[in-house]
Amino acid sequence: MSVAVQTKDIINVVIHGRGGQGAITASNLLCECAFRAGFKDVLDIPKIGAERRGAPIQGFVRLSRDKEIKLYSGVRNADYTLIFDYTLLDIPSVVKSLSGIILLNAPEFMNLDCIDPSFEVWIVDATGISVKNKLMISGFPILNTLILGAFAKMTGIYSLDIIKDVYKARFGKNWEKNFLSAKEAYESVKKVGRKI
Amino acid sequence: MPSIKLLKGNHAAAYACKSARVGMVAAYPITPQSPVVEKISEFVEAGELPGTEFVKVESEQSAIAAVIAASATGSRVFTASSANGLAYMHELLPWAAGTRLPVVLCIASRALAAPWSVWTDHADVFATRDCGWITMFAENNQEIYDTVLTAYRVAEDPNVYLPAFCAYDGYILSHTLMPVQVEDIEKVDQFLPPLKHHINLTDFEHVKGVGPVTLPDPPDRGEYGYAPGYFEFRFSMQRSLEHSLSVIKQAHKEFSEIFGRSYGNGVYKTYKMEDAEVAIFAVMSVAAESRLAVDFLREKGIKVGLVSLKVFRPFPSEDLREIFKDISNVVVFDREIGYGWEGVLSYELKAALYKSSTQPDIKGYIVGLGGRDITYQQIAKGVQTALTMESVNENPIQTDFIGLQLDKLQFLKREGGY
Repeated sequence: MSVAVQTKDIINVVIHGRGGQGAITASNLLCECAFRAGFKDVLDIPKIGAERRGAPIQGFVRLSRDKEIKLYSGVRNADYTLIFDYTLLDIPSVVKSLSGIILLNAPEFMNLDCIDPSFEVWIVDATGISVKNKLMISGFPILNTLILGAFAKMTGIYSLDIIKDVYKARFGKNWEKNFLSAKEAYESVKKVGRKI
Repeated sequence: MPSIKLLKGNHAAAYACKSARVGMVAAYPITPQSPVVEKISEFVEAGELPGTEFVKVESEQSAIAAVIAASATGSRVFTASSANGLAYMHELLPWAAGTRLPVVLCIASRALAAPWSVWTDHADVFATRDCGWITMFAENNQEIYDTVLTAYRVAEDPNVYLPAFCAYDGYILSHTLMPVQVEDIEKVDQFLPPLKHHINLTDFEHVKGVGPVTLPDPPDRGEYGYAPGYFEFRFSMQRSLEHSLSVIKQAHKEFSEIFGRSYGNGVYKTYKMEDAEVAIFAVMSVAAESRLAVDFLREKGIKVGLVSLKVFRPFPSEDLREIFKDISNVVVFDREIGYGWEGVLSYELKAALYKSSTQPDIKGYIVGLGGRDITYQQIAKGVQTALTMESVNENPIQTDFIGLQLDKLQFLKREGGY
C-alpha cells in the first residue's frame, strides 16, 4: 500500500465514462469497496444530467479514512482519474481537466501523446478482457467491475477479497464472472513507461 | 441490529418510510426524486413492507390527491416530488394543511422551469411557503433519514396535525452515496407510535366528512351551537403552526435521546458560533458548503460562524433573534430568488430581526441557481466582500449574485437591464 495514500486526509477520484458504460455504478461500487476496507466516510457524487447512451459523463468519489467528509461539490483536483473509454481523450475539456494518477481503459498499443508526459498513467485493456470472457450486457462489454480490479492494484486501497465480497452482495449469481474478470484486470494492469 | 448502509439521499428517504411503516405511498416520477418511490416499490415487491399500499398514479396532482384521501382514512402516507411536479401539486397542498392531515412529502429540490433544468436549486421548496405545511431541511443523507422520521412524529402530534415537507438538494444529496445508519424498526416504533388520527373516514360512526364548505361568519347550528367559519379554521391552523416549533424541539430532543444523533436544537444548527462576530445564514447544500468556508475564513483570522436553518416553516424568529444578538454582520446565501425582491431567506431574516435591539447588518447573495456548483471559496469571498461594504442596505433591490459567468457570453449591458 502506498504511503502517500495513507497519510492524506481525503482521496479524490474522478471517473470519466460514456453513458451506458457503467461509470456511475463503478463510483458506487468503489465506495462500497472502500467502506468495507475500513474507510470511515465515503461519498459517491455522480454528475448526472441529460445523459443518453454514449454521451460523456463524469462521476466523483471522495474517500476518507478517519474524517467526516463535508465537501459535496464536484471534484476538481483528483488524486486519481479513471477513464473508461480512450476516445474521451479526443474531447478537449476532458484532457484539460486531467489530474492525479490516470487509469486508462485502452489497448496496450495506445498512443498517449495527448496526455501530458508529467502524468503517471496506468493502462488496462478492460474492453479486451470483457469481450474475451463474454462479460456482456446487450452486446456491450462490461467495464466497471474490471476497472475496479485494476484500481485496486494501482492504489492498494482495497483488496481482491473485498472486491469478491462486494460483488457477491451486489450481483447475486453473476458475481463470479465479474470477479474473475476483475482479477484478470488486477493482474494485467500496467504502469506505462513514459518519455519525459 | 442497526446497520450502516451506503445510501443515496433518495434511498435514505425510502428507508425512513420503511422504518416508519408507512401505510400508503403514491408515486409519480420526476427527476431527481424518482428513486425514492422506486426503492419503496422494491420494498413492497420484496414483501418487506407488508402493510403498505403502493399506488401508481397518472400525475403529481393525482399523487397528492391520493395521499390526502388515504391520510383521511387515518393511514400514514408518503409521496415525493421535485420542481414542476411539486408545482403541479400546489392546488392540493393547502387542502392537506387545511384538512389537518399529517402527510409527509419529500422534496428532492430542483430548479423551476423555464428554461428547463433538472439540477438543484431551492425555488421549488420556497414556492410552497404559504401553504401551511411544516418545512424541514436536510444537509446530508443521515439527516434525510432522521428528518423524515421526525417529520412524521411532529405532523402526527395531536397538537399539530399538519403536513410536513422534508427537503434536500437534488443530485447533491438525492444521488450522492454516503453511509447512513438505518435503525431497528422496534426502536423507531418507540419514537414513532402508530398514527391514531381523529380523522378516519372509514369510521362511519364518528367521522362524517372532511373539508366542508365554510361561510364568512360562523353559522348557527341550533342545538349544536355555532360551526366555525373559514376564518376560525385558518386561525387554528396558524396557531398550530406557531405552536409546532416547541413540538419540533421536543421531538428532536427525544429523537437524540433514543438514537444518539442531534441537529442543533432541532430548529437550527450552528457551526463555530460560540465566539463568532460574523455569521453565514444558509440552508441545505449551501449550508453544507459554508462549513468549509467558515474553516477557511477562520484560518484568515475572521471570526465567522454558520447558522444553518433546519425548519423554515414555522419560521423560528425568536431563536434567530437570540442566536444573532451578538453578531455584527450576517451574510445570507440564497439558492433561489423571491423574484422582484431578493433572496427569500435574506428578507425573511430581515423581517425576523426587525426592531431587534441589536440588529446586525444583513447582506444577501444569490448563488448556485440551476445546479451551478457553489464552492466554499466563493462563499468566503462573499463574506469578505460584505464585510468591506459601507452600507449593505444601500440598494436592496439590486441583488448581488455570486458565480455568474457572464464574461463567457460576452453579455452587453443594456440600459435598464439585461
